[in-house]
Amino acid sequence: MRFLLSTRLLAASVAIGALAACGSGGGINPASADASSRTAGAVLNGAGAPVDGGILNLSMSADPLCLDPHAISSDVEQIFGRILTDNLIYLDTEGNPGPWLAEKWEISADGKVYTFHLRQGVTFSDGAVFDAEAVVANFEHMLDPDTRSPLAGPYIAPYESSRIVDPYTLEVTLKQPYTPFLDVLAQGWLGLLSPKAIKESTPAQLCEKPVGSGPFVLTGYTKTQGATFTKRAGYDWGPPQLGYSGAAHLDGINVSWVGQDAVRFNSLVSNQYQATGYVPAQNASAVKTNPNLVYSNVNRIGLPYTIEFNTSRAPFDDLAIRQAFVSAVDREALVKTVGFGERQLATSFVDRVTKYYDPEVKLRGHDLKQANELLDKAGWTGRDAEGYRTKDGKTLLVQWPVAQTATISPIFDLVQAQVKAAGIKVNIELLPSAQLTTRRYNGDYDLSAGVWHTNTPDVLYIKYATFSIPNEKRLGQNTSRISDAQLDGWLEEARRTGDKAKLTELYGNAQQRLAELVPGFPVYDNSVLWAFSAKLHDVVVDTSHGTPYFAYSWLEK
Amino acid sequence: MRQLKRIATRFAAGLGVLWGAATLSFVALHVTAGDAALATVAGDGANPTQAVLERVRADYGLDQPLWQQYLGYLGRLLQGDLGESYQQRVPVASAIGEQLGETVQLALSAALVAVVLAVGTAVLTARRRPWIRSAASGTELVLTSFPTFVLGLVLLIVFSFPAGWFPVSGNDGVSALVLPTFTLALPIAATLSQVLRTELEEVLEQPFILTARSRGMRDAAVRLRHALRHALIQIVTMSGFVIGGLLGGAVITETLFVRRGVGQLMLTATTTKDIPLVLGVVLFAAAVYVVVNLVVDIVYGLIDPRVVTA
Repeated sequence: MRFLLSTRLLAASVAIGALAACGSGGGINPASADASSRTAGAVLNGAGAPVDGGILNLSMSADPLCLDPHAISSDVEQIFGRILTDNLIYLDTEGNPGPWLAEKWEISADGKVYTFHLRQGVTFSDGAVFDAEAVVANFEHMLDPDTRSPLAGPYIAPYESSRIVDPYTLEVTLKQPYTPFLDVLAQGWLGLLSPKAIKESTPAQLCEKPVGSGPFVLTGYTKTQGATFTKRAGYDWGPPQLGYSGAAHLDGINVSWVGQDAVRFNSLVSNQYQATGYVPAQNASAVKTNPNLVYSNVNRIGLPYTIEFNTSRAPFDDLAIRQAFVSAVDREALVKTVGFGERQLATSFVDRVTKYYDPEVKLRGHDLKQANELLDKAGWTGRDAEGYRTKDGKTLLVQWPVAQTATISPIFDLVQAQVKAAGIKVNIELLPSAQLTTRRYNGDYDLSAGVWHTNTPDVLYIKYATFSIPNEKRLGQNTSRISDAQLDGWLEEARRTGDKAKLTELYGNAQQRLAELVPGFPVYDNSVLWAFSAKLHDVVVDTSHGTPYFAYSWLEK
Repeated sequence: MRQLKRIATRFAAGLGVLWGAATLSFVALHVTAGDAALATVAGDGANPTQAVLERVRADYGLDQPLWQQYLGYLGRLLQGDLGESYQQRVPVASAIGEQLGETVQLALSAALVAVVLAVGTAVLTARRRPWIRSAASGTELVLTSFPTFVLGLVLLIVFSFPAGWFPVSGNDGVSALVLPTFTLALPIAATLSQVLRTELEEVLEQPFILTARSRGMRDAAVRLRHALRHALIQIVTMSGFVIGGLLGGAVITETLFVRRGVGQLMLTATTTKDIPLVLGVVLFAAAVYVVVNLVVDIVYGLIDPRVVTA
């Protein structure tokens, strides 16, 4: 019995690691939430003259089990991608596409043809040359069903064909205009691999040994244990905006997977590692007060941590019930409790650092009286023995399947307790991840929660377009299953237009409309919380996902 | 001849156990909710196309009727093919093989520590003053009823976090093995020592002990040479329990200390519904049981032919 019980506990804690890898992070300190502390592109701990040498020991929460960036959706790739590969595009500090391996580009008037002019003299670590053919091989690899790409492939789904104009000029044609194209090309999951390695390896082999052109080369990988990366001699093609050039200062980077939050944090403090990702919010103040540690807390572009209603079935197919539920929830209290002062209250369906974020959007506030009025009006006037509302003898009950973990997020319990005051019964079901995934795709739930990070406001299309509702044909991410013609129109138009004023209007409209439709309610702007040794200098904050970028970091002796 | 026949029967029974384990796990994995293809490619942060999902279904035969999948699985098993892990995309055998060494290392060191601790405690405390016995059996009770997870955390909090005497995690070297070994060994040692003490106390009341003592033999010698030898048979008898404790405990210990090993592998495979990998680990664990029991049987037969009944 003891064995069974503890195994369950443990199954749970592993799931946490896996979840953390999919996008949870720390938070942002409201006190220091000014732009300076979380500007993408900023250099952290920049003082001192760089010295060469040393190995950076880095701990992360979970092994993605495959290191081919095109074949995984793990959050870890945001770090790995920047260690192992280079991208065509690097976003600037404003979030606009800038050059990297693509020096410049032209977009046809109809928005469907992109002509890339590629950087010359770049090679992959296996000797393969970076050229137009290499880029084509990468696009094809991302889209090949054999790669089983969960992210990279879908991100370039509008890709139709390529024409090699000359070895360093590539013309890419899309099926339809898709303005997020350049942005997504800047993501770690779309880092470029050696065409030679792609051709000579099976997808499974590429998982074990991807070959990139980045500042470090993968030299060892032991599943569930760690990976070692060694400095690439002669590397000289980092993103020009970083203002650095040449090869890395570090001799290498060793990555270890340490699933337990407490263990990961304490092994950082004991200096077993010099950097760690996904520091739990409750440890943030300990990091900040420790003079040997540097703290990084950068908001991520995309959907805030959001609790979504399944609008395709009762009771949340009724707008009034959704409004009532939100009114019954005290979001500020939630953020305070789970964020330990490290998270910012979300104010829209994209978080503050997303391009075209609309600060004018008004989300419903906590108003228990209004919640009760709305429910009365909707006919849920009876009460059962426990005090929950009933209508026609049925209790107002909502199902909330969540991933089984050792430390269940207190958010679930808090929401459950808060809405109980309005007479709504929330049934939290703890499920293994395989079951949860299936329930989500089958639409068998009333509430779901999560984040979605991408580096463009197109996240709204991914989350709320009718196209993105999971069905037989595709496994979309519209978990609220909201379908609104007006919203679809704006989001689709935004995908076709490059005009900034027009985009401001379209994305503003979309955010306002979502506030009216209430497909869910954003809770906090998710951010990525990192901690590292004060001896590690010049850590760049990546502009795509706010994660550390170690290409030009150096270790004090 | 009779001995051989007995071993052959036991061997056949062992194969039956393996087949049963494979079948039960296969059924259990398939009847529990959750679509393996979805779990493989459509986790929390994924947005795969239907083409990818269909490819995965076809690759793993998940689109076939269950009985066909089962027969196919058994057929491949007979050819010694455990299949390919859905998540890791490598043969199950090599996925297990890659992790096995670390688990064996941990299990052996834990077994050694457990036996030494149990024998030591039992010999020192059997038929002593009541308060010594109470202290020992009280500690044992606490250790056996403590969840391994909590025990490991306590060890970490005492020996690793504040002073940094031992590394918090990982597989690097002997020092990284110390805390996991004790986490795994202590509950097993506690149970073994309880059983051993009871056994020792019984033996110590036997007439032949009195005879030995009356010959002027020292207490320590009586305990070690005479009583212990009899009591040790209990450890052989309990080898099933010990192996079970080691395998089960390894899952927890490896996860807590973030050690590579079969335990971690099993856990990840279970939560992600990596069917071939779970089945592979179950079969592996069952095979270990079968082999150990077979060996114990044979050893028993050699020690004491009276036990031969089959």
